[in-house]
Amino acid sequence: MTLAIAGYGDSHVGAVRDTNEDALIVDGKWGLYAVLDGMGGASAGDVASTKARDVIHEYVRARRGALAPRQLLEAAINAASAAVHGEAQRRRDRRGMGTTVVACLIDGRRATIAHVGDSRAYLLRDGRLHRLTNDHTIVAELVARGAIKPEEADRHAYKNVLSRNLGAKATAAVDVNELELAPGDRLMLCSDGLYGYASSEALHQLIASTDAGADVVRDLIEAALRGGGGDNVTAILIDAGAQAVPRATVVLQTSGAGAWWARRERLLAAARAYGVHRSPLCAMLPPDDAIALVAGNFADAVYHDLEKGTSVNVWTFVENLAAGWLGRGGAWPPLRDLLDGLARSADAVIRELRAEDAALAGLIEGALARAMVNAETAAGGVLALRLRAVEAELVRRDAERSRAQAEVTSKFIDQPTVPFMRAVEAPPEPPAPDVAQLLEGARRRALGRPAATQDRALFARTVEHIHRIATSSSEAEAAVIARELFDVRSLDEAGVTPLYDALDAARAAHVDAVRAVPGAMAGKVAALRRLAAAYQRLSSAITGLVVEAVAPSAEALRTAAAATAELRAQVAKNEQRVADLERKFATIIDDDLPAGMRFDLGLDKPRRAEPPPLPRRRPSKETQR
Amino acid sequence: MTELGERIAVLRDEVLDVVAGGSEDAPAVAIFDAIVRTLSAGLDTALGLDLTLHDAVARRLAWGDSEQLILDDADRVFARLAKAAQRALRDPDEEMLVLEAAADVVCSTGRILGLAAVGRASRDRAATLREELAQRRLREALEEQAGNLRRLKEEIASNDFQ
Repeated sequence: MTLAIAGYGDSHVGAVRDTNEDALIVDGKWGLYAVLDGMGGASAGDVASTKARDVIHEYVRARRGALAPRQLLEAAINAASAAVHGEAQRRRDRRGMGTTVVACLIDGRRATIAHVGDSRAYLLRDGRLHRLTNDHTIVAELVARGAIKPEEADRHAYKNVLSRNLGAKATAAVDVNELELAPGDRLMLCSDGLYGYASSEALHQLIASTDAGADVVRDLIEAALRGGGGDNVTAILIDAGAQAVPRATVVLQTSGAGAWWARRERLLAAARAYGVHRSPLCAMLPPDDAIALVAGNFADAVYHDLEKGTSVNVWTFVENLAAGWLGRGGAWPPLRDLLDGLARSADAVIRELRAEDAALAGLIEGALARAMVNAETAAGGVLALRLRAVEAELVRRDAERSRAQAEVTSKFIDQPTVPFMRAVEAPPEPPAPDVAQLLEGARRRALGRPAATQDRALFARTVEHIHRIATSSSEAEAAVIARELFDVRSLDEAGVTPLYDALDAARAAHVDAVRAVPGAMAGKVAALRRLAAAYQRLSSAITGLVVEAVAPSAEALRTAAAATAELRAQVAKNEQRVADLERKFATIIDDDLPAGMRFDLGLDKPRRAEPPPLPRRRPSKETQR
Repeated sequence: MTELGERIAVLRDEVLDVVAGGSEDAPAVAIFDAIVRTLSAGLDTALGLDLTLHDAVARRLAWGDSEQLILDDADRVFARLAKAAQRALRDPDEEMLVLEAAADVVCSTGRILGLAAVGRASRDRAATLREELAQRRLREALEEQAGNLRRLKEEIASNDFQ
């Protein structure tokens, strides 16, 4: 039995970007659906995605039936990769452009899903949402290798850096999955602009809603825009046959929503009893208005969610509440207390309902619990946005400071290299007692070891000083110590090398000592962290001092070279004057010259074609030179 | 490359911050690569013998980067790598190896820069001496020229041989 397949798709430029670099294919005739997310900047991203889209579409149309779906999709994506790669090679301004793709080819009940990059495919089956694709990103690979934890992936600086795309090479490594569709299945293809800005709970709720596919696509895109819309958003929803609506959902839609609406006033009364109107969020409102606005809107949102079988309305209500409050600099605890007050008020309504219809009350309670979980996630999302804004501001300020420091007027090249972002470092804190004890043990052991340098005293001083830096909470300690160690020494290799030798010897002894000293491994790592940082600081400070000390040599050379150049110019000028006078002198004593030219060179132009030779020059020291 | 070297190499873009820097060839890449090399060689290299690091530092100096700029890059690589390793590595032994290698390379970079600076200072001093010698000769020439100019002016003015 074949399934009636219906696909709906839409794309939005998002709330931040100017151009839409996403592209999509919704072709019910050939059963081809695809989302592509271009990249490459300078308008090359949309070129890559549209080119790949056209190639894939054309390829599938031309060879549908000639190849098995799996081979067909794989070949079409490879052809698209070759086309984008070729274009990027031909045009210098399009170098580095590429695109992701997630494509679905439906043949009867069989769906073949191929993807490259971080565009995703989801399957909703029996009310549960399954992700069908693994992102091809550096972070996903780090998680797979165990280098970072999955919960760190979202915060990772490279969460959006792809490890595979279409266009980087002529061929692409394509991941292909096949699955048998069941009646009521819902497939969703999307770009990272959707799942990056709408939580997985919101996606689940929206996809699982009983709304028509086109409405769901619209709601999905709206959810991403509400979440910030920082990227282009594209979503395709594919319905396989009529969606089987769970009986519980039908009951909630038909009876639950009505029962809830009938108890709206009860909810408002309970909210008043729980003091919702006394929340700091309602400080500017009279009590009645506060209850009507907060508890009333909450009751409406729950009603609409019960009616539609989603939680998206409660989500939106809480998100707006959180954005308004946190946006004014409000703290999290009052918001949490207000949400608790609303949840307790809803419990009071359910308790009342349970006396009349326990089964229906149980269903509404379940739906409310799910909605409240989503509400907390929505508030969490707003908090995360606020954190991201603070972080972005910090990075901007830091970049400005780095740029200001990099402005050196006397440099040969103003900006020889790309500025390297300065790591944000907290000022050092004193070590914990166990780490301090380990550092002390390491110091003693290091001093007891034979020094791998000739200057034993300098070695011992270095170990002591490093211990001071490692246990100090002052950043200036290393600079002070570097001056002390540098002392008075010749500014040549023989003078400076012993300092670095002592530093290396002390470091080797110190590292061995940390490993050997008894103690917990975690403490040892913490001790070594402090010691390594201390060595880095001292080495850096000593080198800075050397560079500072040799600066006068370069200055002296510059001054001397300038003085030489000035003298040379003066000599050249005098040479010219001597030559002029000699020429003048020669014309005086040249009998062949017309009388008018004597004493008048330069004023009375000679009528000869060639300038007069300089005959009979008087031999003199200066002319011989 | 050892397994630890490979795992640290994966952190390259993060440590060098190429996304924020917008360059595939960040200025501090030589320092990070030297740390990976040190880890790959099992911390078995003789101190200061990393000629590749030496060449890379010399090349940057030749291109006009100051010692302070290179030193700053090394410091940042150390700070970022220390943080990345603390987060990415579960085995304390491995983190200790990375810290050891990073400190080794940063100190080596300091040594290379310090010795390059004193080498440059020696060359500057020698060049200054040469300049001073040249100045002495030029002053002598100037004195001679002044004498000649004076004499020529006098001879022309007197016009006694016409």
